[in-house]
Amino acid sequence: MTSIYAVVTGCAAVAGAFSGFAFLGLAMDRHWADVHGRGAEPSPAQRSRLRWCGCGQLLLSLLACLALRGSTQGWVLWLGALTAAGWMAVLMLTYAVRRLPGSGMAAGSLALLGAGVALLVR
Amino acid sequence: MTVSQTQKAPQLRYRAGVALRALIAIFGGYAVAAAIAATLAMWLPIARLEAALTATMTGLIVYPCAIMWCFAARTPPRALGGLLLTALPFALLLAIGGQGAAA
Amino acid sequence: MKEGFRQSMAWLHTWSGLLVGWVLMLIFMAGTSSYYRDEITLWMKPELHRTAVTPVTQAMAADQAARALQKRAPNSERWFLSLPSGREPAVQTMWAPPAGEAKAKGKGKGRRRFEQALLDPATGDELAKARATRGGDFFYRLHFDLHYMPVPVARWIVGICAMSMLVAILSGIVTHKRIFKDFFTFRPRKGQRSWLDFHNVSAVLALPFHLMITYTGLITLMFMYMPWGVKVAYDNNDKAFFAELFPGLPQGAKASGVAAPLTPLGPVIAHASQAWGGAPAGRITVNFPNDAASTIAVTQQEGRGLSSDLPTLIYDGATGRPLPSPDAGRGAAAATRSVMYGLHIGRFADPLLRALFFVSGLAGCAMVATGLLLWAVKEKPKHLKAGRIGFGLRLVEGLNIGAVAGLPVAMAAYFWANRLLPAGLAERPAAEVSWFFTAWAVAMVAGLAWPSRPMWRWQLLAGGMLFALLPVLNGATGGAHLLVSIPNGMWALAGFDSVTLMIGAVLLYASARLGRATVTKTRLAGNAA
Repeated sequence: MTSIYAVVTGCAAVAGAFSGFAFLGLAMDRHWADVHGRGAEPSPAQRSRLRWCGCGQLLLSLLACLALRGSTQGWVLWLGALTAAGWMAVLMLTYAVRRLPGSGMAAGSLALLGAGVALLVR
Repeated sequence: MTVSQTQKAPQLRYRAGVALRALIAIFGGYAVAAAIAATLAMWLPIARLEAALTATMTGLIVYPCAIMWCFAARTPPRALGGLLLTALPFALLLAIGGQGAAA
Repeated sequence: MKEGFRQSMAWLHTWSGLLVGWVLMLIFMAGTSSYYRDEITLWMKPELHRTAVTPVTQAMAADQAARALQKRAPNSERWFLSLPSGREPAVQTMWAPPAGEAKAKGKGKGRRRFEQALLDPATGDELAKARATRGGDFFYRLHFDLHYMPVPVARWIVGICAMSMLVAILSGIVTHKRIFKDFFTFRPRKGQRSWLDFHNVSAVLALPFHLMITYTGLITLMFMYMPWGVKVAYDNNDKAFFAELFPGLPQGAKASGVAAPLTPLGPVIAHASQAWGGAPAGRITVNFPNDAASTIAVTQQEGRGLSSDLPTLIYDGATGRPLPSPDAGRGAAAATRSVMYGLHIGRFADPLLRALFFVSGLAGCAMVATGLLLWAVKEKPKHLKAGRIGFGLRLVEGLNIGAVAGLPVAMAAYFWANRLLPAGLAERPAAEVSWFFTAWAVAMVAGLAWPSRPMWRWQLLAGGMLFALLPVLNGATGGAHLLVSIPNGMWALAGFDSVTLMIGAVLLYASARLGRATVTKTRLAGNAA
């Protein structure tokens, strides 16, 4: 495994996990309202899109972890990445919630980019 | 803790009920887990190493579930009854297996 | 319980967690530290900090170590060699002193202690004699053997606490209605609500880890806690069971008495490594070196998979010929057990995975601590309304301080003892350990005597200062401090200093926050009056 591959796959793993949680969090009424004002709710289409993108990013993170560490340790790595990403998401949602949508998008893009480069470099 | 008690007698009865459940859960639950483990070890149609390990690992999952049952049941007698009912088929299997050549 | 299912589970969760919570704090703190026990041991041997160890091939390291052992213990019954790895760059050797020698040294208590030496892999010379210390192994043993009591008693206590914790986790999951809705919820500065949120978040975000570590912890000692499966399947013949489960152990083999020089280890290791497709060897056990009946067992280096069962190949000691190896085909249950065992002890080669486990362990400490604190915070208003603090609440508050704030003080005291006690002190390891327990006892007694906010602040302050100053202590007492360890890539030492600095900072911050909150409260009370 070359170091470029390891780095970009690692980015995909972490960024994907964070982005996934960011999207899934925003899909919830409470956290959407944190960003857009009290009582605001995402429309059914928005909610559905956020959920699909969130799950997709988590899946991407899983695949990246499996690629990094194989089919046994990879699962353990993913759960650990989820824990770390979960904490980051909680901290952002508590202390910097306005920046969350942007961060989520940025992380998601980074994850997709990382995955793309990894596939090219492998 | 959720039922407000203002008299002494009901409070004592509540505490006795809790103590009873705890005893049933801790000892009765362990007995059920042990019985299930022993039965699995005796009756699983696989190599005895595999059977012993499977039985042991299963027993350690059965125990906390039995404890949870004892506190979820509506009354202590019901808790005990549930444990006995669960243990019955396994006890029977143990008795059969112990006597037959299958042991 | 006449209340609903959820409420009864909430009750069960509270009590199965609270009653064993203080012991769980010890288990979690000691256990989490154990992930880095080798690194902790290295930090506690400052004499070894500057020893530059030249990396060599495994074959060469093994040959040099064997040469050294031939000089020191040619007639020993058994040699153990641990080859260099990511965690330990030197060669660790252990050997059983021959029976005659042991008696002469007055060690004949029926149980012979193994001699050990840490060797330079390039030369086979023993590395500088470091001070006697139990290092990180103290925390490792502490978390399941406790201390000052017979091992079986300790393991039963730990087992009961672990089972109680498993009940607490399962009932906690069942009772947590809004586990998905509240997944990310944390509302700070709202008193009881905040404690509950933090408890939930620290529990849910690492839930797979908490479930895994608790259940696998029980699995590691399962033959003690649930022996009935083995007894029934093997008709009470426990020995037969263990022989089948661990086929590599020598079963009553005896020396032949015929001398035969030990074959060089280098080629043996190379052969094993090749048989494993290039995977490095980790540990070598030589039975009856220099005897015609000697055997060499080569075990693969740990950390590649999850299973604790490592491939082992056996060779004849005099000729180096491969012998039939006992690796039987592993069934599903045996493989499951060894994966679970491997997950619990977490001896991963991968620093990232280990770090994630460590972080999850810290989350576990936070989960237990916030649970204990939450109970006290919830109970307090009822007692305040009644006008006096009941005995139970006072006891819990005191124990909380002693466990949550006092344990860090004790751990720091252990590290300070390591540097402040003279290196040549007799019974040194025990002395270091006694500092741990003395500090903890003082903290516990103080907490019970005066369970109050100021006591929290003092203990957190003490713990914070002691931890934060460890990197300074390190440099001042002959160790490689951060300005040396970071530029030279000594990551184990740099990691220890950095992590203790961070822990100290967190404790100091907590202490400071407690101080500020008091001021706010009195001001509010003043305004309300």
